[in-house]
Amino acid sequence: MASSKAVQGLKHVKPILSTDTNQARRRVLNLYRAWYRVVPYICETYTLPITPEMCRNKIREEFDKNRHITDLRVIDMLCVKGQQDLMETKNVWKQMNHIMAYFKDTVNPQPQDFLSKFYDGHNP
Amino acid sequence: MASRFCRLVRPIATSALRTRSCQRPAVLTQLFRSESTTPNSTELSSTIRQVSPAKTQNLKEFGEYVAENLPKYVQKVEVCHGDELEIYIHPDGILPTILFLRDHHHAQFLNLSDLTAIDVPTRPYRFELVYMLLSLRYNARIKVKTYTDELTPIDSITPVLPAANWYEREVWDLYGVFFSNHPDLRRILTDYGFEGHPFRKDFPLSGYVEVRYDDEVGRCVIEPLELAQEFRKFEFSSPWEQFPKYRLSEPEAETSEPKQLDEKKGDKK
Amino acid sequence: MLRLWPLARGLQAKQVLASLARCNSSAPPEKLEVFVDDKPVLVEPGTTILQACADAGVEIPRFCYHERLSIAGNCRMCLVEVERSPKPVASCAMPVMKGMKIKTDSPLTKRAREGVMEFLLMNHPLDCPICDQGGECDLQDQSMTFGNDKSRFTDMDHTGKRAVEDKNVGPLIKTIMTRCIHCTRCIRFASEVAGVDDLGTTGRGGDMQVGTYVEKMFKSELSGNVIDLCPVGALTSKPYAFTTRPWETRKIESIDVMDALGSNIVVTMRTNEVMRILPRINEDINEEWISDATRFAYDGLKRQRLTTPFVKNDKGILEQADWESALIKVAQKIVQTPGEKIGAVAGGLVDAEALIALKDYLNRLGSEALCTEEIFPMDGAGTDLRSNYLLNTKIQGVEQADLILLVGTNPRFEAPLFNARIRKSWINNDLTVAMVGSQVDLTYDYEHLGDSASILNDIASGKHPFSKTLAAAKNPMVVVGSSALQRGDGTSIHKAVSTIAQNARVQSGCGEDWKVLNVLHRVASQVAALDLGYKAGVDAIRENPPQILFLLGADEGAITKEDIPADCFVVYQGHHGDRGAAMADVILPGAAYTEKDATYVNTEGRAQQTRTAVTPPMLAREDWKIIRALSEISGNSLPYDKLQEVRDRLYEVSPNLVQYGEAEDANYFKQAQELAQSVSGTIQEKPLTPSMQNLKDFYMTNSIGRASQTMAKCVKAVQDMD
Repeated sequence: MASSKAVQGLKHVKPILSTDTNQARRRVLNLYRAWYRVVPYICETYTLPITPEMCRNKIREEFDKNRHITDLRVIDMLCVKGQQDLMETKNVWKQMNHIMAYFKDTVNPQPQDFLSKFYDGHNP
Repeated sequence: MASRFCRLVRPIATSALRTRSCQRPAVLTQLFRSESTTPNSTELSSTIRQVSPAKTQNLKEFGEYVAENLPKYVQKVEVCHGDELEIYIHPDGILPTILFLRDHHHAQFLNLSDLTAIDVPTRPYRFELVYMLLSLRYNARIKVKTYTDELTPIDSITPVLPAANWYEREVWDLYGVFFSNHPDLRRILTDYGFEGHPFRKDFPLSGYVEVRYDDEVGRCVIEPLELAQEFRKFEFSSPWEQFPKYRLSEPEAETSEPKQLDEKKGDKK
Repeated sequence: MLRLWPLARGLQAKQVLASLARCNSSAPPEKLEVFVDDKPVLVEPGTTILQACADAGVEIPRFCYHERLSIAGNCRMCLVEVERSPKPVASCAMPVMKGMKIKTDSPLTKRAREGVMEFLLMNHPLDCPICDQGGECDLQDQSMTFGNDKSRFTDMDHTGKRAVEDKNVGPLIKTIMTRCIHCTRCIRFASEVAGVDDLGTTGRGGDMQVGTYVEKMFKSELSGNVIDLCPVGALTSKPYAFTTRPWETRKIESIDVMDALGSNIVVTMRTNEVMRILPRINEDINEEWISDATRFAYDGLKRQRLTTPFVKNDKGILEQADWESALIKVAQKIVQTPGEKIGAVAGGLVDAEALIALKDYLNRLGSEALCTEEIFPMDGAGTDLRSNYLLNTKIQGVEQADLILLVGTNPRFEAPLFNARIRKSWINNDLTVAMVGSQVDLTYDYEHLGDSASILNDIASGKHPFSKTLAAAKNPMVVVGSSALQRGDGTSIHKAVSTIAQNARVQSGCGEDWKVLNVLHRVASQVAALDLGYKAGVDAIRENPPQILFLLGADEGAITKEDIPADCFVVYQGHHGDRGAAMADVILPGAAYTEKDATYVNTEGRAQQTRTAVTPPMLAREDWKIIRALSEISGNSLPYDKLQEVRDRLYEVSPNLVQYGEAEDANYFKQAQELAQSVSGTIQEKPLTPSMQNLKDFYMTNSIGRASQTMAKCVKAVQDMD
C-alpha cells in the first residue's frame, strides 16, 4: 500500500509539536513544573497515604526514566501523554489506586540469584 | 412553513441535479437510487450477493474522477468485492480529500460512518487509517485509506466532520496515532493510567498488568501480570497448506493508478 | 481370503522404482521433460506422475499413496488428466513418459476428484464431531479442498450407510472400521515395514474389510505408526481417545529417550500435560516411524512421579520436605564426608547437562567414583577411544551395507527403528544378515551362526566358514549389542568383535570412510556419560564402598543395599519413585525428558536436544539445577547459573556434545584393536542371550515404562495372546 511515492513524499519527518531542541526542552520543563505545582493539591484531594515529598521524588524519577531520549518527536509524544496524564490527575478523573500504581508498593521483587530462583519455582 | 417550502423545492433541485450528472461523466449517477434490497427473481438460486457490472463501472469512473481532481494526493483507486470503492491517498491530503468528498455536489459524503486503523508492523508506515464515508444523497459509500506511523501526526478531520471526534480519540487510545489539531484528544476506552496502545499488534493479548483488590492496603492495586493458567491458544495452521495451489484466492480488485489516468486524459485531449 | 500385494510384488515395484529413481550405480540416465500445467519439469525416468507434479510444486491429493510404502493405486484420488489419454490416470502409479502433458487443474481432473470424493463420502459415516481424527483428517481436509459442495446422497429407503464391525487389535490401536476407506496403507505398513503379516483384507467391493482375519492383537513393536498412516479415523490411538483436538494443543519438537537411538518426536501438550507423542521426520534416525514404547509410554510421566523432596526421619520413614531442608541435609553429610568416600551412579535416562554438573561437583569434592549403570568393558582402549563404543556406521549406513553380523543383540526390541532400517535394506538392497546369539524373530531372514560366544573366536581367526562370506563383503557391518559386552567376559568379546571388524575392514577394501565396528546401546544416556568420562559399570563402587552414594536416576538395580555399607547415605535424584528411590535416604525430585531442555547423545554419537514441553510437576526441578543448588549450599558452587553456561562447559569437555544434529565420525579403529590385543582373558562358552527376547520384554525397559498403565496393558495383552 505505502507505495514508493508515499515514502518519497515523507522523507523529511513531520514534527508533532516542537521544531527544535529548545522548544522540546521548554515543553518538558513546563510539564515538569506543572506536575510539580500540582503535587500538594493532589495529595490533599486524593488523600494519598504519602507525603508530597515522595510524590515529587516519584515525578522526578518518572522524568529521569526518559532522560536519554533525544528524538524530538518521541519527546513530544511523551509530553503529550504526560500532559494528558496531568489533566486526568488534576481533574480527579483518576482514583487513588491509579496514582498509587506509580509507586508499585505491593509488587514483590522477582528473585535474582540462582538459589532463590531455584526455591521460587520454575524460573528460566 | 419552512418544511413545506422545502418539500416544494426538493423535486426541482433533484431533477436539476439529474440533468447535470448526465452531462458530466464519472460522477455518482442515479444508478444507486434505483437499486433495491430485494433480489431479482433470477438470482434466487444463489446465495452469493450479485454485483451488477454497471454499478462497478460507475464506481470505477467516480473513483477515477476523484483521482483526476486530486492528482496530488490520490495514489491508487480500487474497486474491491465488486462494489466497494477505495481511495488510497497520501496522509498530507486527508483534509482536502475529505473536504472534496463532502462538498462536491456530486459526491456529498456528509456522513462519516466509521474511522479506524489497521496495524501492519511490517510496513514502513505501520498504521493504515480507514475513513468510511456515506453519501445519503447518492446512497453510496466510499473508503478513504491513508497511512502513518507511531510518530507521524496526521491532521484531524474533526473540524470538517465532527463525527470524527470520538473515532479519532478511539484510534489515538487504541493505536497511538496522533491527530494534530484535534479539539479534545484524550483516552476514551482504556483506564486512566493505562500504559500502551492495546490494538497494536505488538501489544500482548493478555496485557502487561492485572488489577486486583488488595485487602491489606484497602484499594485496587495494579501489578505486573502473572498468568497462573496456561494461555489458551489455538493453532489453525491446517494441513490444507499442503495444497496451496487449490486454496481460494481473493477476488481480484479493479485498480487504476492515477498515472494511467493521466495518460488517458492526454488521449482525450 | 484375499491378501493384497504379496510382498514379492510390492518388492518388485519398489525395487524397480528405487533403482530407477536412485540410479547411483551406473551413469545417470537422461532426464525426461514433462509438462505440469504447461510448466516444463525435468525428472528422472521412472518417476511417477505424482512425484513429477510434486517437483513442479503441485501436490496431488491422495489417500493410498505414501512415500515409504509400496504403491497400491486403489484410492483413485490422485487421478489427473494426461493429454492424449482417453481416461484420467492414477498419477501415483503411472510412470512419466517423455513430453507428457499433465493437467492437474483441468475440469476433467476436478470432476474426477469430485466423483471419487463423492463415492468415498457415500460410504463414510458423518461422525466427524466425535471422531478423533477430526482436525487432522486427510478425508476432511481433501473434501474441503477438492470435494463438491452439493450432495447427491439421499438415503430414500433409509437403508443406512455401510457399517462395518470394529476389530479389537490390542490395547494401543482403536479401530472404527466403518470409517475405513480401504487405502490399505496399514496393511502395507505391517507387511513391509513392521514385517508382520497380521493385517489383510477380506471380501471385495462394498463388502471389503480390513482386519486381522481372526480376532487377535496386532503384535508389532511398531504398531502405533498405522495410526499416523491412516488417512481417516479408522485407526486411532486408544490411550489418546477423546482427550484433545489437534488445534488446541501445542507441539514441541523433542527427542525420545526410550532407547538409545534418540528418535525425533513431537510432544503434544495441553494445559501443562503431555497429551500424546508423535514422530518427527529425521531421515538419519527414525525416518518417520517411532516405536510403541516411544509413542505410548507417556502416561508413565504422570504416574509414580516424585513431586516433592523426601527426607528419611529418625524412624527410618521417608517424609515430605521442602527443598531447603532436603538440600541442607545432603549438604551437611557431604561436608562431613571426605571426598573420596562419595560415589555416584548415573542411570539410563539422564541428560548430559546433569551428568556434567554431577561430575564437576564430585570432582570438586575430590571424588572420581562416577559410574554408569550400564556396563562397558573398560580394559584395553576401553572408553578412551570413541570408536570403541559408538554405532560408527550410523543408522543410515545400514542402507549402504551389504552384510551385517549381529552379535548378541536383538535389535528388534533394543532399537526397533534400527531393525526397521535393516529390514528396509534387506528388502531393497539384498542385504545379508548373520547373527551370533540366541535365535530371535527379527522379521527378516538371517543366517544363524550359533548362540555360543566362542564362535566369535572362530570367525576372528578365519576358521569359521562365515569368515569367507565376511571377507567377500564390500561394505560389512558388525553390530555388537551392549548386553553382550556386559558379561564377565565382555572384554574378550569386545576384543574378538573388534578383531573381526578390523579383519573385515582390511579384507573388504572399503577404505577409511567405511566403519565396520558398531556398538548398539540400549539406554539414552550411555554415550554422553562415556563421552564425559564416566566409568562404565558400578565395579568401582563395589570395590570401594562409599559413605555417600548419589543415585542420578539409577533405577535398574545395578547397585543394591547389599553392595554398600549399611551406614551409607543414599541420595536419589530422579523423576520416578522406582527401585532407586526405594533405597534412598533423601530423594530429590528431578524432571523427565519432556520437562527440560536437555542434551542426549544417541548410540551413533549424535547430540540432540529435548525441549521443555511441560513444567516439572509441583516441586520437581531440572536436574542440573538441583546439583547446582546443592553445590551452592555445600559451599562449593559450580560456576554456571544458566543452561547456556552449562552447555559452554559441555563444549569445553567435548565439543561434539553441543553440536546438535551432527554425528561426528570416530576413528582410530586400528589403534583400538591393537590396544584390545593387550587384554588377556578367554571367551566363555555361555550362549549370548540378549536381554529382550519377546515382545513382552520390550514395553517396560525403564522407570517411565514401568510406571505406564498403557505399557502394562500391552504386556498383559501379549502374554494373554501367547
